Amino acid sequence: MDITYPKILFIDDEKGLRLGTEKLLKKKRFDVICAENGEQGIKLGIQFDFDVVLIDLNMPDKNGLAVLKELISKKPNTVYFIVTAYGSYESAIEATRLGAYNYFLKPFTPQELFHQIEKGLKQRKLLLESIELKKERELNLTTIAHEKSRLNTIIEAISSGVMLINKERKLVYYNKACLQKLNFDELIIEDEIIEKLPKNIAQIVNDILASENPRGKSYTTEVEILPNNELTIEATCSRVPHPDGTFAGVVVVLKNITGLKQLEALKSQFVSMVAHELKTPLAAVLGYLDILTNDTLVVPEEKQKQYLQRSHLRLRGSLDLVNDLLDISRIETNHIIKETEYVAIPEIVKSCIEILELEIKKKNINIIHNIQEDLPKIKIDKNDITKIFSNLLSNAVKYNFENGSININYNLNKNFIVVSISDTGIGLKEEEKQHLFQQFYRAKNKHTKLVSGTGLGLSIVKRLVDANQGKINVESVYCEGSTFTMHFPFK
Amino acid sequence: MELTSKIKKILLVDDDIDLLEQNKLILESKGVEVVTAETGKEGLQKYLSEKPDAVIVDLIMEEHDSGFVLCYKLKKNDIGKNIPVIILTSATYDTGFKFSTATPEEKKWIKCDAILNKPIVIDELITQLNKYYE
Repeated sequence: MDITYPKILFIDDEKGLRLGTEKLLKKKRFDVICAENGEQGIKLGIQFDFDVVLIDLNMPDKNGLAVLKELISKKPNTVYFIVTAYGSYESAIEATRLGAYNYFLKPFTPQELFHQIEKGLKQRKLLLESIELKKERELNLTTIAHEKSRLNTIIEAISSGVMLINKERKLVYYNKACLQKLNFDELIIEDEIIEKLPKNIAQIVNDILASENPRGKSYTTEVEILPNNELTIEATCSRVPHPDGTFAGVVVVLKNITGLKQLEALKSQFVSMVAHELKTPLAAVLGYLDILTNDTLVVPEEKQKQYLQRSHLRLRGSLDLVNDLLDISRIETNHIIKETEYVAIPEIVKSCIEILELEIKKKNINIIHNIQEDLPKIKIDKNDITKIFSNLLSNAVKYNFENGSININYNLNKNFIVVSISDTGIGLKEEEKQHLFQQFYRAKNKHTKLVSGTGLGLSIVKRLVDANQGKINVESVYCEGSTFTMHFPFK
Repeated sequence: MELTSKIKKILLVDDDIDLLEQNKLILESKGVEVVTAETGKEGLQKYLSEKPDAVIVDLIMEEHDSGFVLCYKLKKNDIGKNIPVIILTSATYDTGFKFSTATPEEKKWIKCDAILNKPIVIDELITQLNKYYE
């Protein structure tokens, strides 16, 4: 075991006393070093770390008080004694003022010396302990400061606004995100904030503050900060307890839910449109049935038949609409997982033409399908590609004139198969072209009024082409015809 | 219910040819001449050429507000000021079309004498038309 003994420096010019004292102290197993003058004493005192230093007051080279002054400035945690044969009240006062622990007279008895040194060592122990404590405290403070700044950094980094209101109704903390969420230019700490908050939030905060219950539910409210879906926030107000469990205040968390609100608005707009589009054909059919079953109205027989035919057509239209809506819902739920396989587009086109055969014959439309033998297959969802071509070809027939024609052509362009479908139908006006792929858009002109359509077909085509990494565009001349051109990538 | 004899000719404007056909038949059964138009634009032309004693107009036609636009144009016109113009629509507040004629701002812009819901209830329509000529 490594034992360290108390380290003592004895500075005195009187050789006999020096040697005697050294011997005494060594016997008591102190680690003693002696200096024979002031200069040497200072040198040794600075060089080593002593527990106790005894300094003679009168030395030829240097006064003991000067030595004390110098040593204490360099080694403030050592315990110093002034020892003198010519004691005076003034020098004792001066020594204590300079920082000496005690003052004793020569000659001294061994008991007196040991007693003084014991006292000095106790003092030294206290000094060292207090230094340790101080160090520890400083370390703790650094850790706390670090923790606090870390917490601050985290709260500042949160995209939600966080603010703390104490039970004296004052703002005690907020992060920068609060300003943006509330559309405020500034918030002031210690400010009575509640009345400045949006009404709904203020109400909840007031309710929570009034109850002063440290436990209890959190409350959430929505607030439109800027109109027209520009900024809507959700505020959640929760109680904050003190560490001892008593009520401290309210924390308000502000979340931006504008995106959600916009989506909600789009959804409800879509539902409105769908409801309207479904209601219209049903209202038309209901109208005809009302007329046909009304005994007071006289309807010529040919009109009666015409009304039934129109009813049939409108009901067929609403069935198509429901099917299209189901398609849209299928596209939206399946857009992540696609079942792709290698498909020969001309085969798909052929099968779509077969399905439309009856209508094609009725209008006497000439189909020119220019199949290329060496066309590569493409990897695509077969249901999607079938839906694309059945929609486009059915439009090409529906909006064609009698005795018209439809041309289907294929081309290769770099990594794309280019398919175009041209018809000699009613075509599109420039302004109609812009809205063509929009949901529920139908070109309204003298040619289209007798053709039933849902206004969803081409929007479905566009979604499906996009979902399969393709692209589609349209060229058209009003009353002359339209050409839809699609690019599909192949590998 | 009988339609007032002051109304001899009615202009019906609607982009749905079936509703046009039905409402025309119903109104003709009340002994009135009916002329039709399928867009707001055509409605204005027909109005100027036919000089009807009442106009019944759909709201959503070539544009979402075609009915409002036509009403505004009719009421601004000197002849149009003195005949009833009625909007007949299925676009109601409860289906998500947020309009009303309640606020002064809306009253300033919506220049019709009544807004009725589709499908047409003939007695309701006649009541509104007769009221205008009382």
